[in-house]
Amino acid sequence: MDGNLLPLIALRPGQRGRIITMNVGRGKARRLMELGLLPGEVVEVISNSLGPVVLRVRGMTLALGRNVASRVWVEVIP
Amino acid sequence: MSEVLVALAGSPNVGKSTLFNRITGGDVHVANWPGVTLQRAEGRTEHHGVVLRIVDLPGTYSLSAQDIGERIAREFIVEEKPDVIVIVVDATSLEKSLYFAVMALELYQKAVIALNMMDAAEKRGIHIDIEGLESKLGVPVVPVSALKGIGLGVLLDRILDVAQGRMRILPLKVDYNGLEPFIHEVERLLRERGILKKYPCRWAAVRLLEGDEVLLDELSKEDPELAGKVRSIRERARIELGEDPERIAISSRYSLIDEIVSSTVTRVRLAAPTLTEKLDQLMLHPVTGPISSVLLILFTFFLIFAVNTGFPLNILFDHMGYTELAALIEEYSLSGILGSFFDWLSSAISDWLTPMGYADWLVGLISDGIIGSIGTLASFIPLLLMAYVFLGAMQDSGLFPRAAVSLDNLFRRFGLSGRAFFPAALGMGCSVAAVVSTRAMDDDRERMVTSMASPLIPCQARLLVLLALASAAFTNPLEQSALTVSVYLLSFVLYLLTSKLLNKFLFKVEYAPDLVMELPPYHRPSLRVIWWYARSNTEHFVKKAGLLIFVLGVVTWFLLNFGPTGYLSQGDISKSYAAILGNLLTPVTSLIGLPDWKYALAFEVGFVAKEGLLITFSSITGAADPVEALRSMGITPLKAVSMALAMNYYVPCLATVAALFSELRIGKYVLLTVAIEIALALLLAGTAYWVGILMGFS
Repeated sequence: MDGNLLPLIALRPGQRGRIITMNVGRGKARRLMELGLLPGEVVEVISNSLGPVVLRVRGMTLALGRNVASRVWVEVIP
Repeated sequence: MSEVLVALAGSPNVGKSTLFNRITGGDVHVANWPGVTLQRAEGRTEHHGVVLRIVDLPGTYSLSAQDIGERIAREFIVEEKPDVIVIVVDATSLEKSLYFAVMALELYQKAVIALNMMDAAEKRGIHIDIEGLESKLGVPVVPVSALKGIGLGVLLDRILDVAQGRMRILPLKVDYNGLEPFIHEVERLLRERGILKKYPCRWAAVRLLEGDEVLLDELSKEDPELAGKVRSIRERARIELGEDPERIAISSRYSLIDEIVSSTVTRVRLAAPTLTEKLDQLMLHPVTGPISSVLLILFTFFLIFAVNTGFPLNILFDHMGYTELAALIEEYSLSGILGSFFDWLSSAISDWLTPMGYADWLVGLISDGIIGSIGTLASFIPLLLMAYVFLGAMQDSGLFPRAAVSLDNLFRRFGLSGRAFFPAALGMGCSVAAVVSTRAMDDDRERMVTSMASPLIPCQARLLVLLALASAAFTNPLEQSALTVSVYLLSFVLYLLTSKLLNKFLFKVEYAPDLVMELPPYHRPSLRVIWWYARSNTEHFVKKAGLLIFVLGVVTWFLLNFGPTGYLSQGDISKSYAAILGNLLTPVTSLIGLPDWKYALAFEVGFVAKEGLLITFSSITGAADPVEALRSMGITPLKAVSMALAMNYYVPCLATVAALFSELRIGKYVLLTVAIEIALALLLAGTAYWVGILMGFS
């Protein structure tokens, strides 16, 4: 299971992952969790190239700057 | 007549402002929330003989008091105790928008849920069991479509039912699992001491365990010992449960939401690829995204330019040989119409007052000074309205957040996020609008940096001066456009560089703020909402800055028409106080190759409003056409370049300075902004002039 633990920025468009942990400050973590980015939640990456990572979570489309996106670790769902 | 206080609450992008506008019918009063520049809109309506006073709370994802918006919304609910809060949720994505509803219902039970976008949900095959939802949430749920005006009568009925106590309301109880024993412990302590009484006890206990700073501060002030106890209970919970209480609380709310959604929402079929998905392939693509964002902005500004000033259509037609058509377009552009109206009004008043035997100076003061200033103020209004219509449409359609995402990568290099594109784009319309728009940013440093840098972008008024300079000094249309376009490009570069330097030296932070932003589905903007948004913002500006512009306009008139010898009836402007003042500045303007007091005076007048530069040239030379005026002052290409650079950067106009002050609230930063601009103007115009001289131009 550890083998496919990746930061969000490593996911390709169309790939899905289950959030395992978020390595961000307390205020930011609260903001992300209230937007629905909770550990255990499944996210689908929509676009991920140069800029922010765009993903869908709980029926909402969210853009996450690359710095935050590199701190959210997910378990890839094959 | 009895009055009911209603608070309208909900997350961003759920159609809250559309609903607000629908219910109040645009009868809205806009002001600021006390102590902050966040706008507070209040409207009223009447239903069954009862007046409903409706306050639009800031759109927030939560009520944790993490930012200004959340703090204001929460304080309003707790302190004002509205008769009803209307919680707006998005029927197409209950999984997300119910989070705010759950937060709000835990805090306040006199509520009605407005299930908005019900029509869109049905179209996508989403069916919602309304009664089921009502019994789960314990409050009335009313399906509505704010956009189409469906269900509003029922919503108002339910609001009155709840306000007048005709409705049985059940408290919503979230099961916080492992956190429950700790919640009871804190609840008991709060009850024993009778503290934080204005909040529901269970709610306060949960929030304290979650580490709500605002509430903990309040508790520390009232009872420091209890605050210490609560902190240690929280620590104990963290250790015993092996998890952050905050995370448990948020997860528990989402579990309740999942349970509610799974028992009340049925999806009949999966939607085909929507417009949003197709458009996003374009807008979020690494190459086409930034290009389409920029094109979109340029196209919209082309429209604004054309309607407001006739530019660039007038120039285009002029060069194609259709001189009459060009003149016609210019005349019937908004600023042309307003200009001729105020010219007419001014001479009509002068013709009316003169035979009545009033002193010349009084007639002049009224017809030129006062009417002229009102004219200047009026000329701002279409520019602002258009800029706000643009802002509103971009926000309402969902395009703005995409543009911000696609440009984020470029802006990061300058310590900004993609959001910083917006003030820059708006600045092409009006710097005041640009400065005001920065309040939408959630990073405080980015908000301040961009509001300080955005006045560098040439506004519509500066565009007019730039065009006059280019036409007066260059005959080749190619050279004319080269000057105009270079000033624009330079300004964008300066916007980014200034932001970078402010980040580095003023705020001592160089990393870019992280973008965390919802991308709402695209939809056709609602004209009602955009119009309401544009109108209320413009009114707000006119009220705030209007008096200042008016007073300074009158003062300028005095300076131009009075001198040490008294009233200058023949308009001999060189003996005026203004000329004396102009001469004070000539040592500075000499540095950039413009030693004439007339240029210096124009710069002084231009501080009130940048189009004042052209008005000064006209009144000094007596030539109505500013291009003629500039030619008769002997402008050369080199002087025009120097003037163009100096004019664009030397100082933000008065209205912008006022806006900066009200947004930044730190006088030092406003002064710094002005100082940066003066330095840039001297440096750029001076360099251009002296390099030109060395190269043999004159």
